[in-house]
Amino acid sequence: MKSSAASRLLLCAAAVLALGMPIQTVAQQKKLVMWTHWDQNPDFNKWYADKGREFAKKSGYEVEVVTIPYQGYEAKYLAAFMSKGSAPDIFMGMTHQWCGQYDFCDKMPADLEKLYDQNLPKYMAEVGKWNGARYGIPIEHGNFQQMYINTDMFQKAGLNPDDPPKKFTGDWLAAMKKLTIPDPKGGDPLQVGFAIRSKGAPVGITDKFLPFAHAWGARMLSPNLDKATGYANSPEMVAALTFFGDLVNKDKVASLSFGNPEDAFGQKRAAVIFRESWFFGWLKKNAPDVNFKVYALPCEKVCPGAGALFPWTDLVYKNSPNKQVAWEFMRFISNAKDDMEHHQLQGILPVWTANLDSDYVKSRPDYKSTKDMLAQQVPPTYFHPKSNELATAFGEAVVGVMFGKGQAKPLLDDAAAKMDRILKD
Amino acid sequence: MRQANLKWILTLAIACGAMTVFFPFFWMAVTSLKTAPEIQRVPLQVAPDNWLNFANYAEVFRREPFLRYLLNSAIVASIAAACSVVVSSLAGFGFAKYRFPGREFFFLAIIGILMVPFQSVVVPLYVWMNELGLLDTYAGIVAPDLVSVFGVFLMRQAIETIPNDYIDAARIDGASELRIFFLVILPSVKPAIATLLIIKFMWSWNEFFWPMVVTSSPQMKVVTIGLTSFTNMYFIEYNLLTAAAVLSILPILVIFIALQRWVVQAVVMSGLKG
Amino acid sequence: MRQWYRLAFPSNHLERRKRVGFLFVLPALLFFGAVYLLPLAQSVMYSFYRIAPGGARQFVGLRLYEKVLTDPTFWGAVWNTVQLLLMSVPTTVILALAVALGLNRISSLKWRNVWASMYFLPFATSLVAAALIWQWIYEPVYGFLNYALSFAGMRPHKWLQDLNEVRPAIAAVSVWVRIGFDTMIFLAALQSIPQEYYEAADMDGASAIQRLRYVTLPLLNAQIIMVCILELIFNFKIFDQVYATTQGGPGGASQTVIMLLYDTAFKFFRFGDASVMAVFVFVTLMVVTVVQWRIFRKPVEY
Repeated sequence: MKSSAASRLLLCAAAVLALGMPIQTVAQQKKLVMWTHWDQNPDFNKWYADKGREFAKKSGYEVEVVTIPYQGYEAKYLAAFMSKGSAPDIFMGMTHQWCGQYDFCDKMPADLEKLYDQNLPKYMAEVGKWNGARYGIPIEHGNFQQMYINTDMFQKAGLNPDDPPKKFTGDWLAAMKKLTIPDPKGGDPLQVGFAIRSKGAPVGITDKFLPFAHAWGARMLSPNLDKATGYANSPEMVAALTFFGDLVNKDKVASLSFGNPEDAFGQKRAAVIFRESWFFGWLKKNAPDVNFKVYALPCEKVCPGAGALFPWTDLVYKNSPNKQVAWEFMRFISNAKDDMEHHQLQGILPVWTANLDSDYVKSRPDYKSTKDMLAQQVPPTYFHPKSNELATAFGEAVVGVMFGKGQAKPLLDDAAAKMDRILKD
Repeated sequence: MRQANLKWILTLAIACGAMTVFFPFFWMAVTSLKTAPEIQRVPLQVAPDNWLNFANYAEVFRREPFLRYLLNSAIVASIAAACSVVVSSLAGFGFAKYRFPGREFFFLAIIGILMVPFQSVVVPLYVWMNELGLLDTYAGIVAPDLVSVFGVFLMRQAIETIPNDYIDAARIDGASELRIFFLVILPSVKPAIATLLIIKFMWSWNEFFWPMVVTSSPQMKVVTIGLTSFTNMYFIEYNLLTAAAVLSILPILVIFIALQRWVVQAVVMSGLKG
Repeated sequence: MRQWYRLAFPSNHLERRKRVGFLFVLPALLFFGAVYLLPLAQSVMYSFYRIAPGGARQFVGLRLYEKVLTDPTFWGAVWNTVQLLLMSVPTTVILALAVALGLNRISSLKWRNVWASMYFLPFATSLVAAALIWQWIYEPVYGFLNYALSFAGMRPHKWLQDLNEVRPAIAAVSVWVRIGFDTMIFLAALQSIPQEYYEAADMDGASAIQRLRYVTLPLLNAQIIMVCILELIFNFKIFDQVYATTQGGPGGASQTVIMLLYDTAFKFFRFGDASVMAVFVFVTLMVVTVVQWRIFRKPVEY
C-alpha cells in the first residue's frame, strides 16, 4: 500500500511537470490564426485554410482555422482578447460587439473598404460597419427570414401553392386558418398553419418577431438607436404584437406545444415557417419528404424586407502582430469569383451583388424569393453594443404576450422603459 | 417468510428504479441507430428501422478525430483523479485527526472554492494560465481541476470514522505520522478512495467549459468539446450527438465496472472492522 | 498570533503534531492558492468597476451592488433557483439514501454492481448531452414522456414549454443526474459500518425501522450533511442543463442565477454586474453551508 501510494504521488508530480509542454509541431510554419464559431458550416470554414495554402505561396503565411463551439464562444473570445499573445489574428463575430462595446477590431484599409461599398447589396451596407467605418467582411447573405410553405398541405386545404398569401391581416391569416386542423377531442390542434418560435432565449424570439413589427411599420429603437420609449411601444408595435399574440391565443393558428418550429414543419405539423436560407438544406437532410416552396414574406403596411439582427462579419484583431498580413489575406479573397466559390461550397448565398444572378443562385429554391425580398425597402437595423440586452428585454414582452401573461401595450411599455434604462446605463 | 418477501419487494423496487434511471440511455442508444429522418418521424417509433445501422458512429469518427478526443479526456481525467486522491486524502487526514489553529477556517475556505461561480472566474483564470504559459496544454486543462474540494470533504468524513485508538496504538509503536497515514489510514478508507477515484474521473471527463476556453488546437480537444461539434447555432444533429454521447460513456462504464469490483474486494479483504 | 508562531516553531510534542497536521493540509491549500487566489481577487475587484463602451474600465464603487440587488430580474432568477433547489435537493438526498439502503441489502454482489452501475450512469454523461436527451424526451409532440403517458390515459403536457411545469421538469433532470453520485457515497459509507453495531442492535431486539433510525442514520450523519451541503451548492449553481435546453425560457421561468450571471457577463458585456452576482452567490452559499455545518453536525462516538 505504501509503495503504491508513494509511486502514485511521484507519478502525479511527474505527469504534471511533463505535460506542461504543449504539443510542438516539427516545423513552425508562419500562419494566420482564424477563429470562427460558425460550427454548422464546416466546409465554409475549411475553405479559408485551403485558400490560405495558396496565399502562403505569395506571402509565406498559411491560415489556420479554429472552430469554436457556439456554446460559450463569447467567454472564449473575451478571455483570448484580454490576455496577450493568445488571441487570433482574424475572427468571426458581430461588429457592434467586438468593435463597439470593446475595442478589439482593426479598421479596414481604405481601398478594401471602397471595394466592399461598391459590391455589397444595399441591405448589407451596414453589416461589418461601426460608427460609419468598416471593420470587416460580411459573410452571410441569406441571413433574413423568408416564407417556406408546405405545398402538399396547401393543396389539401384548397389553396394554390404557387400563389402565396401577401398580406398578413388579409389572405395570410385566412390561409393560416384554412391550414389549421383542430383536434376533435379538444386537445392541441393536429396541424397548425404557422410554426411559431416560442422556445429559447428571448433574443431569438425577438429576431423571429421583428418581420411582423417591421411589416406594421414599427421599429424597436429610434433611428439613432438612443431611445426605446415611443418606438418599442408605439401604436404600430402594439398592433403588430397583438396580431402575433392572437395567432396563438385567439386565432389559434399557431401553438406553443409544438416545440421547435423547424421540427414542426419537418414533421408536417405546420404548413408555414419563416426561416433563413439555411433551412432548405436542413429540410433536405432531415425531412426529405416535405415538398416546399420559398416565397417573400407577406406585407402589411410595408413589406418586412431583408433584415438581420446578427451581422456576422470576418474581423481583424487590433493588437495582432500579423494584422498587415491579415488584411493582405482579406484582399486576396475579396473578389467575386472567390466569394462565389466560398459560399457555393457550403450551399449558402454569396455576398457580392455580382453573384446574385449566377447559375448557382438561380438554381436555388429561394432565388426568386430572395430577389423579391431584396427589392423591398431595407428594414431598420439595431447594431448597438447593447443589442443583446435590448433584444432580450424586448423579447420578454413578446414572450409575455404569447404565453398569455399580459396584453401587448402594458408589456411593451414595461419593456420600453427597461430598454431605456439599459441605454442610459 | 416475511423477511424473504420484504427482500423481494426491495429488490424489485431497486430494479425498477434502476431501469427508470437507465431509460434515457436506452433512448440515447436507440436514437444513435436511427437516421435523421427517422428521428423526426411522427408518430413516435421506439425501435430503429435497422438495429445494425452504425452509420452515425462512422460519421462521428469521420467528422472529428474522436479517438484523439477520447485519449485526451482519458489522460486529463486520469491525472486529475490520481492527483485528487493523493492530495485530498492527505488534506482529509490533516483535517480529520489533527487540531491545528485555523482548521475550520481553512476547511471552509476550501469548500468556498466550490461556491464561486466558475463563469465569473474564467476570464482572470485564463489570463493567469496564459502568463504561466499553460494554454492549450494538458497541464492547462487539468490545472484548475487537480484537487477536488469534494475529495477533501469525502476523505475527511471517511477518515474521521477511523477510531482514534488505532492511531494512538500506531504512535505508541513509534510510527511517524506519515507512516501512520500510509499504513493505518489509507487501508481503512479504501471504499472512499475508490469512490473518489471514480467520481473525480467522471467529473473531469465531463468538464466542458474550462477545457473549451483553454484549448484551441483540434488535437487538444476533449470529448465534451467533441460532442458540441454536433450541435450548432441553428440546430442539433441528434443522430450524431447520441452516437458520440454513447461513445463517450463507454470508457467510463468500463472503468466504473472495474473499480466497483475493487471496492467490493477491498471491503471484503480488509475484513470487518473491530 | 501566538498560535501561528507555535505552528511554525513547535516547542513540544503536541505542538509538533499540530504542525504535522497543518503540513498534511498544506498541499491542498497551496494548490488552491496558486490556481484560484489571483483570479478570485480579480473577480471581486471587477464588481467595483464598470466597462464603458470602447472597453475602458471605470471605478464605480458600490453602485453596481445597488443596481443588481434592486433589480427584479435578478431576484426573479434567485427565486427560480430557490424553487429548483427546494424540489431537487431533498428529493435527491432522500432517494439516494433509499437506493443506497436498498442496494446494501442485496446480497448478490453481481446484481448489486449491475443496479449500482445503472444508477450511476447519469453521472457519467456530460450534462449537455443529458440535457439534450431529456429535452427530447420532454418534447410535447414527439417526445417519449407524453407518448408513455398517453397509454395511461393522461393528456400530453407541455413540460419544458410550460411556464409552471418547466421548473419541476428541470428539477427532475437534476435529480436524475445526481442521484448516482450520492448513492455511491452513501453506499460506501454503509459498507464501512462494522457489522457488530447491527449485531448489538439485534441483540437489543430492535426492528428494522428502529435499527435504521438509531444505528444506521446516526452513523451516516456525516455523509448526509456532506451530501446536503454539496447538493445545495451544485444545484444552486445549476447552469449547463438549463443553458442547453430552455436557455432560461419560457419567458424567464427557468432562468437561474448562474444563467443570468453568464448572460450578463458574456452576452450583455456587463462584467461588473456579473461579478456582483458572483459575490452574492458565494456569500449566500457560504452562510448556508456554515449554518448546516455548525448546527447539524453531531459528533459521534466511535
